[in-house]
Amino acid sequence: MDAINIFIKSAFIENMVLAYFLGMCSFLAVSKSVKTAFGLGLAVIFVLGITMPINWVINTYLLSESGLLHTDLTFLRFILFIAVIASMVQLVEMVIEKFSPALYTSLGIFLPLITVNCAILGGSLFMISREYNFTESVAFGLGGGFGWFLAIVMLAAIREKIRYSDVPAPLRGLGMAFILTGLMGIAFMSLMGIDPAALAK
Amino acid sequence: MKKEPKLLRFLKRIEPDKKKRPLLHTFYDGMFTFFFTPNEVTALQGVQIRDRIDLKRTMIFVVLALQLSYLLGTYNIGHQHFAALGQYTGLWEGWHLKLVYGLIKLVPLFVVSYAVGLGIEFFMASRKGHSIAEGYLVTGALIPLIMPPDLPLWILALSIVFAVWIGKEAFGGTGMNVFNIALLARAFVFFAYPQSISGDEVWISGIEKVGMAYQGMEYGWIYHLFDGLFRSLGWAEFGSGGQAVADAFTGATPLALAAKGGWEAVTQVPHYSLSHMWWGFIPGSIGETSKPLILAGALFLLVTGIANWRIMVSMFLGAAFMGWIFNLWGATPFMQVPWQYQFFMGGFFFAMAFMATDPVTAAATNTGKWVYGFLIGILGMFIRVVNVAYPEGWMLAILFMNAAAPLIDHLVKRSNIRWRTQKA
Repeated sequence: MDAINIFIKSAFIENMVLAYFLGMCSFLAVSKSVKTAFGLGLAVIFVLGITMPINWVINTYLLSESGLLHTDLTFLRFILFIAVIASMVQLVEMVIEKFSPALYTSLGIFLPLITVNCAILGGSLFMISREYNFTESVAFGLGGGFGWFLAIVMLAAIREKIRYSDVPAPLRGLGMAFILTGLMGIAFMSLMGIDPAALAK
Repeated sequence: MKKEPKLLRFLKRIEPDKKKRPLLHTFYDGMFTFFFTPNEVTALQGVQIRDRIDLKRTMIFVVLALQLSYLLGTYNIGHQHFAALGQYTGLWEGWHLKLVYGLIKLVPLFVVSYAVGLGIEFFMASRKGHSIAEGYLVTGALIPLIMPPDLPLWILALSIVFAVWIGKEAFGGTGMNVFNIALLARAFVFFAYPQSISGDEVWISGIEKVGMAYQGMEYGWIYHLFDGLFRSLGWAEFGSGGQAVADAFTGATPLALAAKGGWEAVTQVPHYSLSHMWWGFIPGSIGETSKPLILAGALFLLVTGIANWRIMVSMFLGAAFMGWIFNLWGATPFMQVPWQYQFFMGGFFFAMAFMATDPVTAAATNTGKWVYGFLIGILGMFIRVVNVAYPEGWMLAILFMNAAAPLIDHLVKRSNIRWRTQKA
């Protein structure tokens, strides 16, 4: 039950992009068309969903004082987390290149840049500071990824729609993406403040 | 050849020179098209068929559909004010006082709404060298109706500047906006100035000025003027103002009561009877209270073909479905409110008739409209009942689905393409 709550909470209520404004760079840059946004969103779901439990295992059994090494190695957290994320992204990159070369070219530099996507490292750090257990961290990873996916696909659809609008010249492209992100943030505030745990009978 | 009407000849005579006075001509053009549809055609050759129902006339139909809500809204401001003070508690007692009081509250909101919004429209139109777009006619009429009657005018003006400038002009003007302008203005007030619009306490005009003479309030001289008129007619006067808030007065809205104690808590309050709620003599945003008059406006929009019936029907179904699910769930008192009674509270019908059906921000495909409306119904009811942070859900539900509408359209189009390629 807790895991479901955390999934819903991280996907809709505390959306990575629209509530914490994490992962903005690729969110703004790859949201020009729905197709690429869809691909990148899936990649983020995968990377978040897989790195979160791995990082959880590393943190609990290697880095913390109560782990196997009986030494407090938490100062290595950042570098190890980034290493895990980078290797996962490499994996995703190889899979996409193999199975969908078209998507691979359209994602371009932003696929390897998932490595430094703040949403992903941020997710792992949130997981530590909120003291999730293993299943909760899986749920949080998948939920956070799904929320990010939803936000980028929605933004991409809107940007496709306004492509032929008479937007004032200085705002075309990135300017509109910023404004839209803010307005979508207002829309997503509709779900903030819901406490899924309080709904259970 | 048929003779031109006098008005047309007069208007043609006073037409300012477009080159010499561009600003004045923009203004003139905007006014001219109120009376006559322009005669110009886009190409010189070929047959052109035009419908006389152009954008301006479409917009004016919506404004017409809102008039009943305006009428009752005005009266209701005054009625709630006097009822809270324990004076003229009967519906039609002291009707002239209630009407005048309501007008004094509503007219400034209305004037500021149009002045600020149309000001921006004029400015942008002359900057871009376009003719004035008509989009603000409806927005400007909608905004006062979804605000509480005592909203400070500067907050109203600020919210309109935000909504029209960021929400519409940045997107390229009328017909290009992604989010509903009126709701964006309301959301701006809601999040930036929550103390003036949070909906747990009732919005009854003039409660905090109890004990003060009407002549001492804002626009006191108008009350004074009308008092003179009423005295000469032998009718009741405003006099020195209410002395205290009446005993029967409760400070909570039906929704807030239902959230705490379910439907029983609402029915215990005598002035929240079903017929009061249905006809709209309850406190609330100015235009949202009276359900039959909103439905009359909605019917007018449906008959004239301006609003889309699919959105209205699917939104109703979605809300009813979600209410029914909550009945089965029944975890909180609010969930146990029978689903049909949910519709008597809050602003559902106004949102359904005038907000969700906005053709610009709704989904464009027919299948998309069903999905769009249904999801608004579900989401709005969900926010109302489950989200303790907000008293009512329709504004945010519609804004959320505005953001999702292009995605819905995209998916509908893709599935159509897939279906057709498979068939071929």
